[in-house]
Amino acid sequence: MGIGRIIRDALSFGDLSRAERLGIALFLVAMAVFPFAVKSGFGRAVAVQFLLYATLGLSWNFIGGYGGQIDLGGAKNVGFGAYGVALPMLWWNAPFWVGLPIGVAAAVLESLVLGLALLRLRGHYFAIGTLAVALVWQELFTFWRWTNGARGVLLPLKPTPDFLYMQFGPVGFHYAALFLFVLSLCWLNWFRKSKLGYELRAIREDEDAAASLGIDVLAAKLKAYCISAAVAAAAGAFYAVYYGYIDPASVMHMDLSVMIAMTAMIGGAGVLWGPVVGAAVLIPLDRYLGAWLGGDALGIDFVIYALIIMLVAAYQPKGVWGIIESLAPARSAQRNEWRDA
Amino acid sequence: MNRGRWAVLSLIVLAALAAVPAAAQPAVRIGVILPLSGPLAPTGQELRRGYELMVDIVNNVHPELAALGLEVAGWEGIPSLGGAKIELVFADSRGDPAIGADMARRLIMEENVVGLTGAYQSGVTQTVATVAERMGVPLVNSDSSSPTLTMLGYQWFWRVTPHDRIFDDDLFNLLDGLVAGQAPGVGPVPKESLSRLAIVAENTEFGVASGDDIRNRLAPERGYDVVDYIQYTSNSPDLTSETTRLVNSGADAYLFVSYVSDAILFMRTLKLLGASPTLIWGQDAGFTNPDFVDAIGPDLHGVLTRSLFISKIGQVKPIAAAINELYRERHGKDLSEESARETLGVQVWAHALQRAGSTDPAALKEALDNLYIPGEQLITPWEGVQFGAGRPGEMNQNIHATGMIGQYQYNPDTGEVQLEIVYPFDFATADMVHPFPGWN
Amino acid sequence: MSVFLEVSIQGVLMGLTYALLALGLTVIFGVMDMVNFAHGEFLMIGMYAAYLTAAHVFPDPLVGVPVAGLIGLVLGALSYRLLVRRLLQGPTIAQIFGTFGLMLFLRYGALAVFGPNLRSAPGGLVVGQRLVLGGLVLDGAKVTAAAGSALLFALIYWFLQRTRVGLGLRATAAHREAARYMGVDTDAMNSIGWAIGGATAGMAGALLVNFYYVSPTVGMVFAMITFTTVALGGFGSVPGAFVAGIIVGVVEAVTAQYFSPQLKLAVIYLVFFLVVLLRPHGLLGAR
Repeated sequence: MGIGRIIRDALSFGDLSRAERLGIALFLVAMAVFPFAVKSGFGRAVAVQFLLYATLGLSWNFIGGYGGQIDLGGAKNVGFGAYGVALPMLWWNAPFWVGLPIGVAAAVLESLVLGLALLRLRGHYFAIGTLAVALVWQELFTFWRWTNGARGVLLPLKPTPDFLYMQFGPVGFHYAALFLFVLSLCWLNWFRKSKLGYELRAIREDEDAAASLGIDVLAAKLKAYCISAAVAAAAGAFYAVYYGYIDPASVMHMDLSVMIAMTAMIGGAGVLWGPVVGAAVLIPLDRYLGAWLGGDALGIDFVIYALIIMLVAAYQPKGVWGIIESLAPARSAQRNEWRDA
Repeated sequence: MNRGRWAVLSLIVLAALAAVPAAAQPAVRIGVILPLSGPLAPTGQELRRGYELMVDIVNNVHPELAALGLEVAGWEGIPSLGGAKIELVFADSRGDPAIGADMARRLIMEENVVGLTGAYQSGVTQTVATVAERMGVPLVNSDSSSPTLTMLGYQWFWRVTPHDRIFDDDLFNLLDGLVAGQAPGVGPVPKESLSRLAIVAENTEFGVASGDDIRNRLAPERGYDVVDYIQYTSNSPDLTSETTRLVNSGADAYLFVSYVSDAILFMRTLKLLGASPTLIWGQDAGFTNPDFVDAIGPDLHGVLTRSLFISKIGQVKPIAAAINELYRERHGKDLSEESARETLGVQVWAHALQRAGSTDPAALKEALDNLYIPGEQLITPWEGVQFGAGRPGEMNQNIHATGMIGQYQYNPDTGEVQLEIVYPFDFATADMVHPFPGWN
Repeated sequence: MSVFLEVSIQGVLMGLTYALLALGLTVIFGVMDMVNFAHGEFLMIGMYAAYLTAAHVFPDPLVGVPVAGLIGLVLGALSYRLLVRRLLQGPTIAQIFGTFGLMLFLRYGALAVFGPNLRSAPGGLVVGQRLVLGGLVLDGAKVTAAAGSALLFALIYWFLQRTRVGLGLRATAAHREAARYMGVDTDAMNSIGWAIGGATAGMAGALLVNFYYVSPTVGMVFAMITFTTVALGGFGSVPGAFVAGIIVGVVEAVTAQYFSPQLKLAVIYLVFFLVVLLRPHGLLGAR
């Protein structure tokens, strides 16, 4: 398979319906002009959060959505990416672009080694296994002295905007996040049309049947698991420079793992746009609900969340995207089947 | 319409016109970031009440406080800004560093605040300080105790209250004072009965920073011996093994850096094992929490805790009593450590605005850098507020800030457990109970 | 007495409590191959039931044990009827997130209702009692919980092995379709499984109140160690949960004594991870 073919697949959305292509174009244009249209600092911050979580949700989709392997340990990859940037910057004043590959490589390597073991587990066992692995990493990063332990890492601040260290104003961060998001989207777009993507969908439907068809199940899952780790780690690296401070509790916590999976799940797991829709629902809801309820109604925001999650899980497991699809009868059933197969 | 009515009407119009210039003077907006929801919501609400109390004192006239020498009580706004009132704009961090930073951006860009204050948890304050530094907006902090915050070289961050190293110093001043016979009601204590220390610290930034400081800096400096340093994971289901190790260490003094849930488990297990140290000290946090006091009750008799503020100080400092009284009228309870902290933060903001005579960031920075508030205007036992380098590598830290150490004392007649001040010795409100008397 | 022995005995004691926490979770998994992520919150509700009984009705959390059991039973059955039954029609991911939603709902609902404060039992027959055996000091409340654990395990084991309903539950666990053909009402069995899971979690919570504080987020403290215990013993295996609970308790105590207290959870997860790799269905797992 030539490079040209890969790039063409990654950039081509030709198999999607006209309405979807129009949606994509409108969405990307909206995101591109967002910093000029919206002057609100809070709105901009929410937009960056949205792009970040959408990227993380896309990363989950590789293994969780298309592969049907419920990964509840995504935060460890975010942590590797974030520490990969933060620690070299702290120790050697290494630029972001040196730290980024370190963090991504660490996440991929770890996923490769532990994935060999974890990916032999199925269903709930895999979910609990990934949860436990992520917890061990969090405990270790808290325990170790060389990671600064629980104290976390404060990134050195640059006096002027600096591309090498990825430090600039809110607008710069917006485009950096958008760039990362588009890159991940294209990667997933290639993935869903690739041989690997079809193999994983086959595994999701029936692992034993997939194996009997001659698919190397473990190898396929492992590849997707590593791609997923790489994307999440890149998002983690961005997180580190954006907030300027990381600690195990904020970048490796179970809540983050769950939030990543939830973004994809609420939007629609195993659908290209699922995580984007999920993040578009969850992140503004989260931020504005919190700002709106303020301190007066303790816990109510999470109760509302929980109700949404339970309703989606019980009545529309395909997520918000499933609702959108059911509202758009124009699309032929046959095409749908082809896409989801 | 008769003349009388005309007279009344014109008086009303005149009064309204007179009121207009004052009302037209735009308020000075200050952004406050607090954990108003999430697990620390009750603390956040408590902090908020402190801010609101002092803003009320600054904005409205309070002759009884002004008579005691509290300058801001006579101001009715900021005089140098034409009597402009201070308006607080609250934002909820939920205790999350990322959300805290977002809130800081929102307050600066949308709410047009002239400066910031908050954000309680050191991790959140760190990201908020980064935003403030990048955008050149002053952040006055009176509620975070991580020593690093004033060691980052940040130009736009000032801390009014002490950090954990200052509190650690207080502990060793108390220990040395005990040996020297300075503690009220206790004769000189042989150093051998106090020299072996065991530290129990949760493995968070707060726990590790404080534990390391005691073991690596203070213990060697003051000639004490750390026999065990137990770091544990907070919110563990069980702390029996940690407590057993602590008792087996044979230490004289147990020093705890723990939040409330773990503090409760440790004290219960210590009682169960019948531990008999000569001294138990807690680094604030869990040890000053009302739930902790409820859970342990009379067994707390003799336990020490550091605190920024103990309302009993009113017995020896009238201004503190008067401000506490005002708070009591509103909320039916004494000022807590949390609410007390934030009254100081607002006081500093008021003085800085008055001194700057402008809301221009550079002028405010200049005013904060050169600020001085004399000690008699403060509810704390400090000599004053003045920012500088208290120790090498530090900047914009209030060099006069110190803490207090309180001791829980049980009164069998009333059945109440009271927190009495035992340090600073000059401000003690009761004789100290020493050695630790054991469990009931 | 040697330190090792002392540490091990304390570990066994706490381990029996962990086993008790795991009992309800493993029963539910056994019947229907499903992890109840809200299990820690069932525990929390049981703790509040016992605490409130002790605070307002009779000042001893032990009196709250049947109350908490009953409330847990209703909670479990209701969760199944209103939520889980629908989740079963969806994919695995919907099941995981469905009970996850239930977890969040109960946790933050409790925060809204009870407030964030930590509560402790005002006193009771075994609260704070010391039990001295030779040179060993044991917590009377933990000994009570351990005894309660052994008792409940025996009861549930007997119920599963010796009663008609128990047979139905085991049949459903072994092969749902076959059981249905044989005339077992599998939907009712699921319901009963959830009711038992809820009831045991409630009672476990009540026994915990004797020595543990209550707060809306306390379920989180116990949740991971409970999952680990169940996975270690083999999902769905009742004797497995019993043995695994004790192993977890001892490993935890020994790690804290000889390595570092900070690492005790990491070592438990590591043991779990290794067991899952070597025996994917746990120590005593059936499948």
